[in-house]
Amino acid sequence: MAQAIRQIKKEVPNQQEEQAQASAEIMKELTENKEAVMASIQLMKGLHEMGIYDALRGMLDNRTEVGAIAIQQMNQPMMHNVIKNGMNGVKFLGSLPSGETEKLIGGIGLGLKKMSEAGQKEESQSLWKMRKKLGSPEMKASIAAMAAFMEGMGTAFAQSPHKEQDRKG
Amino acid sequence: MNEAGFSIEINGKSYSAKPGQTILDVARAGDLFIPGLCYTPDLGSIQTCDTCYVNAGGELVRSCVTKAAPGMVVDTESELVQEAQYEGMSRILKNHELYCTVCDNNNGNCTVHNTVEHMGLAHQKYPFEAKPYAPDNSHPFYRYEPDQCILCGRCVEACQDLQVNETLTIDWSRKVPRVIWDNDVPIDQSSCVSCGHCVNVCPCNALMEKSMLGEAGYLTAIPPKVLGPMIDMTKEVEPGYKEIFAISEVEAAMRKSRIKRTKTVCTYCGVGCSFEVWTKNREILKIQPLEEAPANGISTCVKGKWGWDYVNNEDRLTKPLIRKGDEFVEATWDEALDLIAEKLGGVKEKYGADSIGYIASSKCSNEENYLFQKFARGIMGTNNIDNCSRYCQSPATAGLMRTVGLGGDAGTIHDISSAELVIVIGANPAESHPVLATRVKRAHKLHGQKLIVADLRGNELAERADLFIHPKPSTDLIWINAVTKYILDMGWEDKKFLQNRVNGMDEYVKSLEKFTLAYAEEKTGLPQEILIRIATMIHEANSVCALWAMGITQHQGATDASTAISNLLLITGNYGRTGTGAYPLRGHNNVQGACDFGTMPAWFPGYEPVQDPKVRERYEKAWGTTIPSEPGHDNHHMVEAMHEDKLKALYLFGEEMALVDANSNFVQSAFEGLEFFVVQDIFFSKTAQYADVVLPAAPSLEKDGTFVNTERRIQRFYKVLEPLGDSKPDWEIFQLIANRFGANWNYKHPSEIMDEAASLAPLFAGVSYERLEGFKSLVWPVSADGKDTPLLYTEKFAFPDGKAKLVPVDWTPPFEAGDDYDLHLNNGRILEHFHEGNMTYRNEGLTHKVPEVWLEVSLELAKERNLEDGSLVGLTSPYGYVEVKVVVTDRVKGKELYLPMNTREDNEAVNYLTSSYHDYITHTPAYKEMGVKMEVLEQKGEPPLPKHNHRFGNRVPQISVKVEEKWNRSDFTPIHEMVKEDEHGTGDQANQKRSS
Repeated sequence: MAQAIRQIKKEVPNQQEEQAQASAEIMKELTENKEAVMASIQLMKGLHEMGIYDALRGMLDNRTEVGAIAIQQMNQPMMHNVIKNGMNGVKFLGSLPSGETEKLIGGIGLGLKKMSEAGQKEESQSLWKMRKKLGSPEMKASIAAMAAFMEGMGTAFAQSPHKEQDRKG
Repeated sequence: MNEAGFSIEINGKSYSAKPGQTILDVARAGDLFIPGLCYTPDLGSIQTCDTCYVNAGGELVRSCVTKAAPGMVVDTESELVQEAQYEGMSRILKNHELYCTVCDNNNGNCTVHNTVEHMGLAHQKYPFEAKPYAPDNSHPFYRYEPDQCILCGRCVEACQDLQVNETLTIDWSRKVPRVIWDNDVPIDQSSCVSCGHCVNVCPCNALMEKSMLGEAGYLTAIPPKVLGPMIDMTKEVEPGYKEIFAISEVEAAMRKSRIKRTKTVCTYCGVGCSFEVWTKNREILKIQPLEEAPANGISTCVKGKWGWDYVNNEDRLTKPLIRKGDEFVEATWDEALDLIAEKLGGVKEKYGADSIGYIASSKCSNEENYLFQKFARGIMGTNNIDNCSRYCQSPATAGLMRTVGLGGDAGTIHDISSAELVIVIGANPAESHPVLATRVKRAHKLHGQKLIVADLRGNELAERADLFIHPKPSTDLIWINAVTKYILDMGWEDKKFLQNRVNGMDEYVKSLEKFTLAYAEEKTGLPQEILIRIATMIHEANSVCALWAMGITQHQGATDASTAISNLLLITGNYGRTGTGAYPLRGHNNVQGACDFGTMPAWFPGYEPVQDPKVRERYEKAWGTTIPSEPGHDNHHMVEAMHEDKLKALYLFGEEMALVDANSNFVQSAFEGLEFFVVQDIFFSKTAQYADVVLPAAPSLEKDGTFVNTERRIQRFYKVLEPLGDSKPDWEIFQLIANRFGANWNYKHPSEIMDEAASLAPLFAGVSYERLEGFKSLVWPVSADGKDTPLLYTEKFAFPDGKAKLVPVDWTPPFEAGDDYDLHLNNGRILEHFHEGNMTYRNEGLTHKVPEVWLEVSLELAKERNLEDGSLVGLTSPYGYVEVKVVVTDRVKGKELYLPMNTREDNEAVNYLTSSYHDYITHTPAYKEMGVKMEVLEQKGEPPLPKHNHRFGNRVPQISVKVEEKWNRSDFTPIHEMVKEDEHGTGDQANQKRSS
């Protein structure tokens, strides 16, 4: 005969055994990674001496408050500009055709070289000599490129600010 | 129109179209993107989002409602179209703040996010405006955030026309429209049945599972104090949506590594809904159904959507328990298995193989049921094996097997929804098979389907029915036979069908002689004109489906009543065509599968008799064992044999037999007499209290397997979590025990078990896990080449000559408890809880909605006995006594009571009142035949059903979202008018008009 029973005797996990097993697992990991662990301890020691941990702990304990302050600081016009400029900078770099950029950088390099050569020769410069140089194909190409660049930039400047506003909605 | 299909031209390219398809359907089928936020295939066109504009034949039209026509020329790319779509989307974004990276809905499937991104929108044309409403957090499972709501109306459409609970509407008359529940009450106090449809279909984060909030994203748990300025800053510095989306997509991709989505099949009823479970470690974040789910599409019910956290409940059994004196003591698997081998082996040796019984589970998988019967038959040498279909569905199976040949639904949910007439007899699908009921409610509401409901209670389908009849208890066979006879008398039978496809006509017609309308009226209490009306409705419908459940099958004449239904369908030719057939609604997720895979005393898997030597030989050869030739005990016999001291030991898994079998006192005293009892479950059940060994099993989310739903559809479920603690999947436990008896089994995965079953049972010849991958499914019979059979009997019935049989049946009068027992006791399920509630009462939200069981009492009886909501009464039957609190309701009439089965309390469970009388053919208990007497214990008390239960809500029925009311608002400018005006330079004006 088996009467209905509800009583269940649960094995209470043996705390000592569980702890022993856990520390054995930890020791194994520690000894297998001795060098990394030792280096970390040195680092931690240094940080602790500097008081970094205390500061971090303070921040963690009060993370909502600290987070709110931090985000308030970030959420300022200056910071908006920093972020926007950063993003625009990245966007600008991305928009440059790489072939052209290569040519331009090559040109700047050669220009600098030429400039330093001219400086070393210490030749006397006269307006006449400079005017004569303007006629060379190299100078013409460079000036034409400059003019085109300025024209392009001017197009952006000349765009109505109203239209930009409209785009942003 | 060419029925076979035609083509239309979109953007200069040809796309194939079918009649009835919209331009949007055609484009999406051809992988062409057209925006569309409110449209989904399951919900259809709602016309609220205005983003799907295209140019068809020079006109700007909504592609979601404009039907494709042969030769149509469509453009989706011109400036005009782009402008219209952009305007539509801009209006949406005025209602929705895009802060995707810190949104819990940023999981790669947010429709708003994906549409904005796909359209390449750079900026918000109209600034976001917060709505003047606070979020509604009142409901335990989901919340509504008006500020994020784009007013697309998907939720309303799903609630009104798919779930058809008719709770949600959009109030377009307000200055700022919003979704409201009932007549604008907090969600928790509305008629919301918590089915989850609205949350499932929300295209953004306006309606969200509370379990997702602060959990899904990496940054979404940030406190509002920090989050607010963060969103502001992001908006301030963002150069455009593109960059924001780049970040949010990275974040969404990161979520994939910690949110696992696993397909599963629901275990709360026989409909077989499938969906994805989203988990983070062991935490269940949400249930998300997908359109490709064959039975349910995007539908869920309250239990399937929310009721899964029991898997992590601290009460789960995690270690084997062994009875020692007056307590159970935790043991190792080896100790438990050794003891089982010793004791079961000992009983077998001492008293013989047939002195042990095996009770299988309709909640567990096909593979587990297959393996359990293999263990009982092949290893332990007995056919004493049964499952809980004995408590519910065996009479339906028997009734169908003798008339049409196969014990399963004749077709699929698709047939039920496409029938012209649905007859529901003794079933409450809106609560017991909620998603299946939605298909009937939708067809009835939108597509003119007619509905007849025969029941003692005015359940939800009864309220909606064209004709609701309330026959006297246990008299269904009489009115069904009388209606059939009347149809024959009128010459309305399907003569050709009967002549070509049905046997036994003459004898059957003769058997109906006594079932005149007058006789039926006298016995059932139904007026003759009502019976004539039923017959006429059946006659006038081109296709009829009959659905039934426990109201038919839990009587002494249950198999005969089921047979009568099948006979009626045969007489009227309602088999073998779309929209026709017999549909016994299987109650548990795998009642069908447990029977299909052989946990029945007389049948091998696939319904092949154990008495057939050829079949036995096939199994003996494959298993390498001998199998007894005679059918064994069923559940009922086993209990009797325990009392007669013939059955000495029992091995039961996944079944709360102590409370669920009828006449609980009798069953429990039988358990007390067992020499050895093994119970395997996920919780320490009432049944387990009688066990000698309790084994911890793993629920469906912790294992792989397949279930068969009520449609005969076989579907795979996948392991979501590892088994908790030391619990194990049931099939693994069977293997361990079998191997203790020298079986030497070595199954590594359930797929191997299915392969074996498919190789042995011709019904499942072509079933394999590969063919069931993901959301794929097979409806049996499945031939070796993998071809399945969604609709049965299209050409022949499942008998050797291919013809159905009309089987004469007569009425069996019900059990009468005696004159002292003056009240009729009806019983069954409710929506919110499953069975006795071992799983669902462990869910906080479900228990919030329904904290305890109640007794439904009619207005008349309440008046007579001076009862009110909360009165405590004692009910006495010849078999036992319970005490329950009263709810007074017009759902029940006169002296009829309704006591739901959903309680774990000894002094409340209905089966302490029911008897051991049973269907004379299948031995299914006659649960529905009981009389009780009532005494009032306390006249006043706390009502058992809280006011925040949906039953107290106030539905607001309407068709769809009433978009016309939006269009009639003074601040609405139709986009096709606006962008045309724009062409003429008046766009600014239109803008102003709209934003004023």
